[in-house]
Amino acid sequence: MEIIKTWNYLRGYVIIKVEGLTLERFLNLAAAKDIYLWDIKRINHTLLEMKVSTKGFRALKEVVRKVGCRVEVLDKKGIPFLLYRLKNRKMLGFGVLIFFSIIIILSSFIWSIEIVGNETYSNEVIMELLADENIKSGIIKYNIDKNYIRSILLNELDCLSFVSVDIKGTRLIITIYEQDIPPEKLDINTPCHIVASKKGVITKAIVKNGKTMVRKGDVVKKGQILISGIIVDENTEDNILVHAEGEVLAKTRYFYRVDEPLMKVVEEETGEKMEIHEIKFGKKGIQFFKEDIPYEHYVKNTKEIKPFSGRFNLPFKLFVYEYMEVERKEVKQNIEFLKKSSYIKAIEELNKQIPKEAEIQFKDVIYDVKNGILSTYVVVEVVEDIGQKQIINME
Amino acid sequence: MKSRVDDFKYNISETFELPKDIVLDLPKIIMIGDLELHISNHKGIIEYTQETLRINSNIGILKVEGTNLELKTILSEEIIVTGNIEKIEIIS
Repeated sequence: MEIIKTWNYLRGYVIIKVEGLTLERFLNLAAAKDIYLWDIKRINHTLLEMKVSTKGFRALKEVVRKVGCRVEVLDKKGIPFLLYRLKNRKMLGFGVLIFFSIIIILSSFIWSIEIVGNETYSNEVIMELLADENIKSGIIKYNIDKNYIRSILLNELDCLSFVSVDIKGTRLIITIYEQDIPPEKLDINTPCHIVASKKGVITKAIVKNGKTMVRKGDVVKKGQILISGIIVDENTEDNILVHAEGEVLAKTRYFYRVDEPLMKVVEEETGEKMEIHEIKFGKKGIQFFKEDIPYEHYVKNTKEIKPFSGRFNLPFKLFVYEYMEVERKEVKQNIEFLKKSSYIKAIEELNKQIPKEAEIQFKDVIYDVKNGILSTYVVVEVVEDIGQKQIINME
Repeated sequence: MKSRVDDFKYNISETFELPKDIVLDLPKIIMIGDLELHISNHKGIIEYTQETLRINSNIGILKVEGTNLELKTILSEEIIVTGNIEKIEIIS
């Protein structure tokens, strides 16, 4: 029914009053002539009120003449009449036109450029590069050649693996994926030493090129030369510089200490909580305080509410801060359990430090209780390659 | 059934399960609660006031009584009446 109503509104209709004695005949004749009448209301004995389409109204004239009744137009409704009235208010129509054209014109410019995913290159560098090609905020978005921008960025900047250029509304979004740069390798012709990268006890030295400076069982410090790149020529007693190469395995130590108090403060939620809402416009915010936080100890939780599930960029942000009351209790921990957990924690930390190629030789754990604090030392001895290339300075 | 022809038509519509309002040219009256009344295949309005509505049809005059009766639409084949319908009578 709503569809018919909307259709009628679009086509335009008139509300008429029909006065006469044989109004039923009027209705029958209209129906027979396929004139669509609706919402017919009996006002009194000689009066009917009804709605009829503009087209039907013209056709009604014949019926009216036959029946001999009087028709009066009460109201005209619908788009055609509205447009007719607008004809006399040209400035209003003009205003509407200006309004839409301003919206269209303003939305056809790029107002902001966003660069996502850049790490090695700063925003300014990329912006400058774009500005050189006359791409900056304020340009018309229809003139932007996305492929051109992409090729410029890929050509000018090294180490980019992928660039995507997107226009969303009035924003130009440039997404950059950078390549992982491989670590620098020393040229094989550059003379160098191999030095110790950490202290340790040498267990094995395999030399491919250069002169060994250490023997098995030697204790080396960090930075000490293990394989020298300077060889003395036997005949001329001149120094020859070579590119030292080889593996030097050494026993190194890693240790980690975890301190855990035996008495631990445990925070327990009591279930009491309160919320504070905040609206942020840029950096300025308005907080809606109810009162000061009435809890002695509490945990703060910040949540951002994104209306429309974050699909639109709103000019403000909504935050909800939740304050949950907690009760502090001192609990004495099970010492065996604590030992185990801190041991696991220490091992996890050590695993991060020890290189993957290293071979674990020995592991030791020492527990110590002092002043209510359980200290756990974990010592791991490994054998690993401690050699590190260092270019010989020619002086 | 008035005549033999009508009898025949009735039997046919029974056996072939054809809608009788079409085969026998009868008015079809649909009522939605006491709010709305659809009458298709009518033969014109005889009387219309807010309280009574008399409609001509093949089986006689349909008299609808109620309050605030309104004719929502009138077409050559269908009339829709809304309002508070209290009574329907067939005067044949």
